Amino acid sequence: MRKPLSLHPNLRNRLRKMKPLPVFSTILRSGIALGVACGLLACGGGQDDGPSSSAPEKVEGTSGTPEIALIMKSLANEFFKTMADGAEAYHGEHREDFELIVNGIKNETDLAQQVALVEQMVARGVNAIVIAPADSKALVPVLKRAQEAGTVVVNIDNKLDDAVLAEAGVTIPFVGPDNREGAKLVGDELAKSLEKGAKVAILEGVPTAFNAQQRRAGFEDAMKEAGMEIVAVQSAQWEMEKANTVTAALLREHPDLAAVLASNDSMALGAAAAIKAAGKEGAVKIVGFDNISAVQAMIKEGRVLATADQHGDQLAVFGIEAALEILEDNAAPEDKKTPVDLVTKDSLP
Amino acid sequence: MDATETKPSLLSRFGESLGLVVVLLLVIGVFSLLSDRFLSAATLNSIANQVPALAVVSVGMTFVIITAGIDLSVGSVLAFAGAMLGVAMVDWQWPLLLALPLAMIAGLACGFANGWVSVRFAVPSFIVTLGMMQVARGLAYLGTDSQTKYVGKPVEWLGAPLPGVGISTAFVLAVVVVIIGQFVLKRTVFGRYVLVIGANEEAATLSGISIRPVKIAVFAIAGALAGLGAAFDSSRLGAVDPNAGVGLELAAIAAVVIGGTSLMGGRGSVVGSFLGVLIMATLTAGLAQIGATEPVKYLVSGTVIVFAVIVDAWRAKKLKKSIA
Repeated sequence: MRKPLSLHPNLRNRLRKMKPLPVFSTILRSGIALGVACGLLACGGGQDDGPSSSAPEKVEGTSGTPEIALIMKSLANEFFKTMADGAEAYHGEHREDFELIVNGIKNETDLAQQVALVEQMVARGVNAIVIAPADSKALVPVLKRAQEAGTVVVNIDNKLDDAVLAEAGVTIPFVGPDNREGAKLVGDELAKSLEKGAKVAILEGVPTAFNAQQRRAGFEDAMKEAGMEIVAVQSAQWEMEKANTVTAALLREHPDLAAVLASNDSMALGAAAAIKAAGKEGAVKIVGFDNISAVQAMIKEGRVLATADQHGDQLAVFGIEAALEILEDNAAPEDKKTPVDLVTKDSLP
Repeated sequence: MDATETKPSLLSRFGESLGLVVVLLLVIGVFSLLSDRFLSAATLNSIANQVPALAVVSVGMTFVIITAGIDLSVGSVLAFAGAMLGVAMVDWQWPLLLALPLAMIAGLACGFANGWVSVRFAVPSFIVTLGMMQVARGLAYLGTDSQTKYVGKPVEWLGAPLPGVGISTAFVLAVVVVIIGQFVLKRTVFGRYVLVIGANEEAATLSGISIRPVKIAVFAIAGALAGLGAAFDSSRLGAVDPNAGVGLELAAIAAVVIGGTSLMGGRGSVVGSFLGVLIMATLTAGLAQIGATEPVKYLVSGTVIVFAVIVDAWRAKKLKKSIA
């Protein structure tokens, strides 16, 4: 058992004599205690189990089958959970072909944790890493190291930055959908039900994310091609609640707005609620992206016109298949486009 | 001036929030200049209908902060209560009037746990609620299977504008909660205890107040109000979202502090917090309406929060002098 935390008597007296503001002093003291405790825990863990202590248990399996690590963003996010579930279902059907280890980070923006996961997986000696990078630039160096250590790396979901890859001198194949093309599909469908010159607004995701930029570009392509007027492009950070607030404001500023193009379905739901609250249901059309379950009900009710399905449950599977191919045939890694389909009232069961 | 001098209590009560009203009017004025369509009943109604969740959460937060505590878990608790609401209404087909109490009980349970652990084990509420922030978020994901649930019509009436009036039932209820909150804080024994404990816990103990139940109650109230906020939020969006309320705790803390409540405890006003909520909501709505870019939104919101607190502090100082 670990010794209880004790401070040097001098330090203890010092702390006692300090009399900062009451709330902050408690916060400060607990903060220090917590920090010290965490430090102790970390050291303890290291001595006991070695550096790979936090890696998950090795999956039981026949020796010789390749081990594939799937490294996701937040598994709390519906989209990534669907992806991981799809991968696990696929693994269930092909148990004899490979071993699968699924890992996710808690917070989608926790880059450091994802980098650590990659390092752990390399240390564990997996044959391939299939990764949805939390950042398209910051993950490149660690993935380069992984590749140099002999691990096959396949990039899914969020494409790594071409310029950074070139600068680092690595090629990592990207297996995934073309978001721009998908958004263009949705935009084209919307354009069919609008009159030429109609005013439209685009709700963007997190502006720094590559897929957000691609979807926005796809929407813009479609609207420009059809001769619509884009009166506003605003970010709602992928969030339903923010999309609701932003859409409400857009409707006030542009009373003759004819459509809202949301870069994901959560934002489409938020926009739909704002349009309803403004009493403009039917007058303002909405499209989304992702085909989440909640939006399907809205499409059936006719409150959302269309969305795009990039087959989230298959995205990780495509990546795993690509990794297996490279492992088996020593094939040269190359990019692969996966399908994106338009979803409308007619295409839903 | 004569009338007010004979009734200093009225002046102080009114003047307490006057600085904030000025800031609110300033914000509205600036946006009216920047956009022709801002100053209209439609805009004001739409802003009013966006605030109920944050407003009731801020009422709870006000009580917690006055006791010199803090509740970082309200956003996650709101998501968890919302998840319960969604499960009850979609999977079990409960009507809103049954699901709403369930959501509030879920919130109350989280809040009670916060208060009890904090008091029983003498752990600062900052740490306990930091833990609950994670736990409740986890529960929200578990409850909804990490999926947004579409509820639709059965929940929407609560947040929908009343025909002919323009404001929603949720807003009316939120205002009622604010009024009750202010009354409880300033006119009841419980409210006095809350203020005294926040001002000087030791003195409160020595004067025979049993502190623990009051502290636990304050967190339980904050939790239950987060549950109510969950119902308001879901009714506005017609859906429950396991990622709801991320960052809500900071918005609520900002509103409470803008409203003149001291982070050191012992002083505060529920009405002030409500004005803080209105300032923040007007700012968000206005910036979106004039089409401000993302960086500008952050820059302006941050500046206004600090500006509002400065104006309020300056106003309070003048007020003290004028009474003296």
